[in-house]
Amino acid sequence: MRGHSSIWLFSGILLLAYGVIITGTGLWELGHPLAHPPVLSWLHAPIWWGAVMLCAGLFYTIRFRHHR
Amino acid sequence: MAIASAPALALFLQTPLKQSLVHLSGVDIAIIAIYFGIVIYIGFYLKGSSNTSEEFFMAGREMTAWIAGLSFVSANLGSLELMGWAGSAYQYGILATHWYWIGAIPAMLFLGIIMMPFYYISKVNSVPGYLALRYGDGTRALSAICFALMTVLMSGINMYAMAVVMKVVLGWDLNFSIWVSSITVAIYVALGGLRSAIFNEVLQFLLIWLGALLIPILGLVEAGGWENLKHQIAARLGTTNYTHLWSTTAHFRDNPMGIHWTGLVFGLGIVISFGYWTTDFLVVQRVLSARNLRSARMAPIIGAAFKMAVPFIVILPGLLALSVLPFHLVPQDVAVVTGQHSYNEVLPLMLVRYCGPGLLGLGVTALIAGFMSGMAGNVSAFATVWTYDIYGAFMNKKASDSHYVAMGRWCTFIGVLISVGTAYLVQHAASIMDYVQALFSFFIAPLFGTVILGMLWKRATRAGGFWGLLAGTCTAIGLWAWVEKDPSALRYVALSPDAKAMAADMYRALWSWLVCLIVTVAVSLMTKPKPVEELGGLVYGVTKLPEEHDDHWYQKPIVWAGAIAVIFIGLNIIFW
Repeated sequence: MRGHSSIWLFSGILLLAYGVIITGTGLWELGHPLAHPPVLSWLHAPIWWGAVMLCAGLFYTIRFRHHR
Repeated sequence: MAIASAPALALFLQTPLKQSLVHLSGVDIAIIAIYFGIVIYIGFYLKGSSNTSEEFFMAGREMTAWIAGLSFVSANLGSLELMGWAGSAYQYGILATHWYWIGAIPAMLFLGIIMMPFYYISKVNSVPGYLALRYGDGTRALSAICFALMTVLMSGINMYAMAVVMKVVLGWDLNFSIWVSSITVAIYVALGGLRSAIFNEVLQFLLIWLGALLIPILGLVEAGGWENLKHQIAARLGTTNYTHLWSTTAHFRDNPMGIHWTGLVFGLGIVISFGYWTTDFLVVQRVLSARNLRSARMAPIIGAAFKMAVPFIVILPGLLALSVLPFHLVPQDVAVVTGQHSYNEVLPLMLVRYCGPGLLGLGVTALIAGFMSGMAGNVSAFATVWTYDIYGAFMNKKASDSHYVAMGRWCTFIGVLISVGTAYLVQHAASIMDYVQALFSFFIAPLFGTVILGMLWKRATRAGGFWGLLAGTCTAIGLWAWVEKDPSALRYVALSPDAKAMAADMYRALWSWLVCLIVTVAVSLMTKPKPVEELGGLVYGVTKLPEEHDDHWYQKPIVWAGAIAVIFIGLNIIFW
């Protein structure tokens, strides 16, 4: 059986992609407020939550990019 | 759809069309699309690694403890777990946490420390496979057929819960969302087998946490912390019973669930919990894929640690909804008539409350991931049990390895099709979880009696195992049918006129388990036992367990199991 990439690499790539999209959305909303914002929108959850995902995704992608 | 019953379809069509809670933005759709893309890609990517039956059904037995442990929990963390128990938390309060703590943790630790060596050493491919070695083919056939039936029913329930999310949150057509999601699962499991299912389950586990974790965090911010939340719930409902785990269970009528602590401890904590976590092949299969005995023992312990944390993302949102939602939720049958939101919709309602574009897509993806992980677990286990324990054991014993792999792939598709049909049958249930508990008590509780006696008592015989399992299962079905026909019989089954449906499920499981034990012991004592030399690797006391050489004390599974047990006890005291 051939070796295959680690599941943690797939996880990292997915987190990275989601982190970029969600952080980007949060930043965009700073300049374009939503017409119907969710409760506690002033906490800007997409920015910090997206940033957490982005950092975790970067770590796992780099750490497991050659791991099999 | 073709096999859905006419009454089920009628109810389905009568369901009022509520306006969807939200319209997804392009960002949300992109997030969902990326998820679907990557899970299907994983299926194609791993197709080349699932050519033999050992690879397809057992993932090559090369998973690490962490991967097997996360998969072990994730396979159980379906959309039913997420939405059903969030709804139960709204309906019954913090009592619902028992299904995550006493209803899981002791059993998971017991599996890792006591039972796993027997499953692993015997090198069986399934739980019915163990029963075949211990009790013979009759018991294997009975348990395999029961398991296959339960599996597809469970899968259908998961699918129904998923359809509710799509209806409430997105206003999507139910049939469309069911078919798209289930066909995706069928593709990646059929292509990559258990390895693909496990890979995706780990991914789905991460997504579930990332998508759902914001709800309790933001909810606690809005409520002003846990203490304020308790006060708000008490003020709104006029009782403090919704935020205590044990102190209200001295009598059936003192708590919202209508249950007694004996039912929780003996029915849920011992019978249902141990039955599910130690003998349900859906979860045990993940642990059997571990690469060595130590990983197999550590996997359930790692799983227990994460399982203990799940109430934070499932139960707490239900409790928060009691405080922060400006309207009341109602049972499913009432919601169908009035058009109000039901208990089972509490999690998506809370998701919409706190999440805007992007995060909403992530939350919806988490719910879809929960559905897929649960369904993939069911269909991969179904395919394995059908191929090994029904088809390979009784219908075609001498086929080639590649033939069995092909059978496994076809079974995956067939299992999905049966599940889709089943999804339409479960809509009669007033509460999804009540239905599941009933199913568990039919099959799981007696099976635990059979397996545990087989592992711990060398005198248990072939005939004893078979008749005990059959008698236990028939007892469970009989008690259920009795209460269905005459609801007043509940006072006899659950030992109190104040008992409610959940309590009945606990006691039914307890009685069926006891009947299984009694019949197994009685019949075993009247029949000829297996020679002791044939019990090696199968029974405690006649099996030499391999020595485990851990370099440090903190590498020992028993140490980690002890740490989890201490935290478990502490949490129960804190929320007493």
